Amino acid sequence: MKYNISDLTEIQISALREVANIGIGNAVTSLSKMISKEVKIEVPDLKVELIEKVPEVAGGADTIVSGVIMQVAGDVDGYIMMMISESSVKTICSTITGEEDIDILSPLNQSLIEEVGHILAGSYVSSLSDFLGLNIKISTPMQTFDMLGAIIDHILIEMSKKAEHALLFDTLFMIEGHQMDGIFLTLFDPDSMDVVLERIDRMI
Amino acid sequence: MIIVGMADSAVAKKPLKLTTLGLGSCVGISLYDKSTGVGGMVHIMLPSIEQARSKDNIAKFADTGIPALMDAMVEEGAYRHRTKAKIAGGASMFSFNSSTQLNIGERNVAATKKLLKELKIPIIAEDTGQNYGRTIILDTENGELTVKSALKGIKVY
Repeated sequence: MKYNISDLTEIQISALREVANIGIGNAVTSLSKMISKEVKIEVPDLKVELIEKVPEVAGGADTIVSGVIMQVAGDVDGYIMMMISESSVKTICSTITGEEDIDILSPLNQSLIEEVGHILAGSYVSSLSDFLGLNIKISTPMQTFDMLGAIIDHILIEMSKKAEHALLFDTLFMIEGHQMDGIFLTLFDPDSMDVVLERIDRMI
Repeated sequence: MIIVGMADSAVAKKPLKLTTLGLGSCVGISLYDKSTGVGGMVHIMLPSIEQARSKDNIAKFADTGIPALMDAMVEEGAYRHRTKAKIAGGASMFSFNSSTQLNIGERNVAATKKLLKELKIPIIAEDTGQNYGRTIILDTENGELTVKSALKGIKVY
């Protein structure tokens, strides 16, 4: 591990934020096309956190969310997670299906959320790989409705074997004026962070 | 209510409550000595410190976190031989393909049981495994452990 995530330079951080910004921007465009509605985003916030603190920072370990998790593999390894609140799940589902009374546990709605997560992550990752010139792929999504901490602790455990800190991109988006209480988290393992930062250093 | 974070531990005396939130593959261990009303909780992430790259936080591992919690309780007046354990967590939330990621929850539960056996602390209640998250609350007033989940309701042990 060449770079220490906890002491990145100012310029590296803003470059990383810019990369995330482009990725999320493209992801949101895809979502907007899919549901034919206007989707806006807030500039992603980039945080470096102790792995143990991630559930807290991501919105609280016992917050009940719909979580979609995908594994990232190729030139970089890690995870992409989308976690959205119950009310936001309902907003997305009713926007897409046109139904008003949404049962978030129905198989249809669960796979809908899974697919939204997959599309967002897919466009995010493909713009990341274009921008950085890397070969990055994502796995099929896994979706569950549970406590945020429980959904991600497995991944944090995996990460904690290799690193103490995690790099989080946290973003907020709006669909046709409805604010989505959701977060889009990207966690790369430390070796992958080296790969990403090397590419960025070459560009700066 | 004292909140025990991920890879964290705490000791409390009657009538305080201890809680840890959103256990998935992690295991929450609550220890309680009824005679003194001293209770403790630790939220472990991994079975053992041996393979760990960073050994800074001993509360992260079953094999260091549990003995340290017992010691901390003894300092607060608890008796080792009267202390009993209740454990929860160790779920497998997703079925990942990769073999290295299989059953971290089960491994955490197995390591927890092994450690408690070595310390001669009996496990009097267990709510582990399955595929859902748990929040636990230990009431040091009576030693009751409440296990909450998102969809499976609340159980009291």
